[in-house]
Amino acid sequence: MDVVIRAAVAFAFIYLITRVVGRRELSSLQPFDLILLIVLGDLIQQGVTQSDYSVTGLILAGATITLLQMAVSYLNFRFARLRTVLDGEPLVLVEGGRVLERNLKRERLTPEEIAEQARVQQIASLEDVRWAVLETNGQISFIPKQ
Amino acid sequence: MADVPDYLVLRRHRDLVGRTWHPWVRRTLVVLVLAVPVLGLLNVFGQRPSTASAVAPEASLKVYSPTSVRGGLLFEARFHLTARRDLKDAILVLGSGWLEGMTLNTIEPSPVSEASKSGRLSLELGHIPAGQSYLLYVQFQVNPTNVGHRSQTVELDDGDQEILSLRRSITIYP
Repeated sequence: MDVVIRAAVAFAFIYLITRVVGRRELSSLQPFDLILLIVLGDLIQQGVTQSDYSVTGLILAGATITLLQMAVSYLNFRFARLRTVLDGEPLVLVEGGRVLERNLKRERLTPEEIAEQARVQQIASLEDVRWAVLETNGQISFIPKQ
Repeated sequence: MADVPDYLVLRRHRDLVGRTWHPWVRRTLVVLVLAVPVLGLLNVFGQRPSTASAVAPEASLKVYSPTSVRGGLLFEARFHLTARRDLKDAILVLGSGWLEGMTLNTIEPSPVSEASKSGRLSLELGHIPAGQSYLLYVQFQVNPTNVGHRSQTVELDDGDQEILSLRRSITIYP
């Protein structure tokens, strides 16, 4: 029983911290972030299974996390209002070549970072961008001017 | 407005109408997350030891042990007895909270004998001359399934006579 409860608590905690950290930090993994993520995964695993090395423990924890993930996914699909809470909402960053500073500040982004992401997508200048949108998965999508 | 990408609502996704309070949710969550390590530094979740003591005309007892621990952790309890008069047969009686859901790794020095006294662990320490001290170290490990609040009473007897008792408790976090 305790493994199931610990797995559920770990799931809720991971969900909480991913909402706290912010979308951009999670989508752009620098080498340091990657190592941090591995360390965090190891810490969480220790808290969930503790000294339980059994296959039963593994299945209990794995099944609990899988079911919770499916439940969140279903709630996301079923209830639009809940979707904004669980997943967040898109945010317009650039409109018609104009950077929306207020929206950037909200996500702790700088115009330089937006420009960098634009260059990755072969867009040389933000003035050539019709829309830049920070999506709920943390990626920035660019729609260039025609 | 035809050039607005599908499912983007400018009022909400550009002008942030109805979303101005959202950053406060995140700030609240940040404070909640921050509170955890701060409480940890303040020893709320263990396991910095503290001293509890009891004094009687015949002897004094100090117990140095954490009052908060977490599942799986190793910790030490130190029992410092000082005899004010001759204790012919000192016996330390530990309440069930000391052992329930705990693994007792070692007791040093080993007691003369061990027994159960009304469900409590009775450790016979033997003769302690007046003015002398006896230091007993007990090493524990918290079983991962042991969660909650437990009473850890300590009683010092001389043979059948109770000399003093000390009430303390331990909180075990999952």
